[in-house]
Amino acid sequence: MFFHIVLERNMQLHPRYFGRNLRENLVSKLMKDVEGTCSGRHGFVVAVTGIENIGKGLIRDGTGFVTFPVKYQCVVFRPFKGEILEAVVTMVNKMGFFAEAGPVQIFVSNHLIPDDMEFQSGDMPNYTTSDGSVKIQKDSEVRLKIIGTRVDATEIFCIGTIKDDFLGVINDPATV
Amino acid sequence: MIEPYNKLVKLAARAFYDDLTSKGDNQPKTGRSDNRGIAVVVLDALTRRQWVREEDLAKDLKLHTKQLRRTLRFFEEEKIITRDHRRETAKGAKIYSAAVAATADGQQTAKEGEEKVKLHTHSYCCLDYAQIYDVIRYRLHRMKHKLKDELENKNTLQEYICPNCAKRYNALDALRLVSFEDEDFHCESCNGRLEVESDKIASQEGGDGDDNARRRRREKLKDMLQKMEVQLKPLMDQLSRVKDLPVPEFGSLQAWEARASAAVRAANGDINAGDSKISQLGYNGVPMPYSGDTKVVVDFNNAEGKGEGVKSETDGTGLKVLPPWMITSGMNLTKEQRGEVKQEAKMDGTSTSTAAQYTDDKKSTIGLEDNKNIQDEYIKAYYAALLKQQQELEEAAKTQLSNTPPADDPSSSTSNRQVGMKSKREEDDDGTEWEEAPFTGNGNEGYKVDLNVEAEEVPADQEEDDDVDWEEG
Ligand SMILES: [Zn+2]
Repeated sequence: MFFHIVLERNMQLHPRYFGRNLRENLVSKLMKDVEGTCSGRHGFVVAVTGIENIGKGLIRDGTGFVTFPVKYQCVVFRPFKGEILEAVVTMVNKMGFFAEAGPVQIFVSNHLIPDDMEFQSGDMPNYTTSDGSVKIQKDSEVRLKIIGTRVDATEIFCIGTIKDDFLGVINDPATV
Repeated sequence: MIEPYNKLVKLAARAFYDDLTSKGDNQPKTGRSDNRGIAVVVLDALTRRQWVREEDLAKDLKLHTKQLRRTLRFFEEEKIITRDHRRETAKGAKIYSAAVAATADGQQTAKEGEEKVKLHTHSYCCLDYAQIYDVIRYRLHRMKHKLKDELENKNTLQEYICPNCAKRYNALDALRLVSFEDEDFHCESCNGRLEVESDKIASQEGGDGDDNARRRRREKLKDMLQKMEVQLKPLMDQLSRVKDLPVPEFGSLQAWEARASAAVRAANGDINAGDSKISQLGYNGVPMPYSGDTKVVVDFNNAEGKGEGVKSETDGTGLKVLPPWMITSGMNLTKEQRGEVKQEAKMDGTSTSTAAQYTDDKKSTIGLEDNKNIQDEYIKAYYAALLKQQQELEEAAKTQLSNTPPADDPSSSTSNRQVGMKSKREEDDDGTEWEEAPFTGNGNEGYKVDLNVEAEEVPADQEEDDDVDWEEG
């Protein structure tokens, strides 16, 4: 799920950035620092959308670095149990397959793949129905449901299922 | 009120702990040492007791204490019972005995024999009904949940196990387990090839994969779920029966003991000797000093003195002694307000000269003429207040202790005032005044001069003033 929230971060800036463009430097550094990162609490930071407030800088003893408390708005993506996502398959093996939905990695184990799909090994491993009409392989697009999340301080990993109504392949690159 | 809960415990005991064996791990499993059913016996016995010393329970059940303890420890982990351990002497154990006697309606005469002062650790246990209710519900919920999940083969976390080191993983670890050499998951510690863990109920008879096995599995799960519904129905019914009932609470061991012995005392009416002696004992067996019955004795002479002290204070608030710097010439003040009355009344020695000097000093600097009328008025008010104070005190004393002899006539006590405690009290007052007045006095200069003259004669507390003055000056 996406959220637009305000976060705060203490930015350390090297003295060489001080000057007319201090603010721009600060913002670009903020984007570089936080976009794409993940915190267990808020999820993945997708994009910084605005700066709320930049507080007074504090010069660090000894280094000359200055710490600015920066409040910024950003879009975060936080997966939840029960959420339905569309994802791209990245790897298939006999244990199941991995898929990505943006920054989130999801693993679907083989017992959460419909029973009528069998694993086929080869240089393009895949899961295929017995009549061959549906195939899951690398780069397939699937709709899946998250059934579990593993949330660490800096990492979120999900497991999902496609064993439910309206889940499974939504766009097979091989047939298009 | 406790009966439905006891029934719940008994049902749960038979449903969940019937085949529990409390065997030690190292003991061989012979027929003789087969002690299945012990758990049920213990739980049943506990429903007939409240807090019980584990030794006593073992004796009652003719069980070895070690065996009982093993079972109890298990139930403690299952959150069915609460336990309490404490080090106590034989005497301390009697507190408990008395409490037991209280709950059993029996009269136990605690005999004060020669007891060893040695400390023993005694353990007590008691059913925790509130928790039992929750534990059973949770257990049923988990059972149903597990079966249903497997039946639908949904939302279950696939587990993997390393055949080499038996380390277990689940699907949430998948990202860390993939290797790029092959398509298998590999153990993090030994790089062994992980296998899908199959300890699920249904897959125990092997054969996963083909449709027949899958169908059989579903049948079996369904069957189990149904059986569970049927067999555990009495338990669930009992759960819903106790749902709205108040939970029996015995509280902690100490609270329970205190309550039980209080109950027995209330039942006995008076405090019987043995009991009270027991309650006088600390838990570690050290006898607490026997304080005896609390008696309230009101000493009226004392009270009078005190009352006067209080009175003079209240009077003081009524007619404040003005600090000398507030007094200007031409002000219409009583002597008391100027702090003179007390000083004149004060009889005894040490600081008299200085007091007089101080008064003189003030008199000379301020030059206020004495107003006889006001003085008289003040004295009248003073005595009226004093009388009132005395009466109030008497009232209070009467309500406190109705059988004490009546107080003296307030008027006589006021006249007494002059003789007994008065001088002492006045001295106290003077002491405080002495500390304050010179401080703030506008006669500071003159006073200081006096002090210099009489430096050798001043008492110790005035020397302190002197010091302060030095600092200020
Ligand atoms: Zn291993």
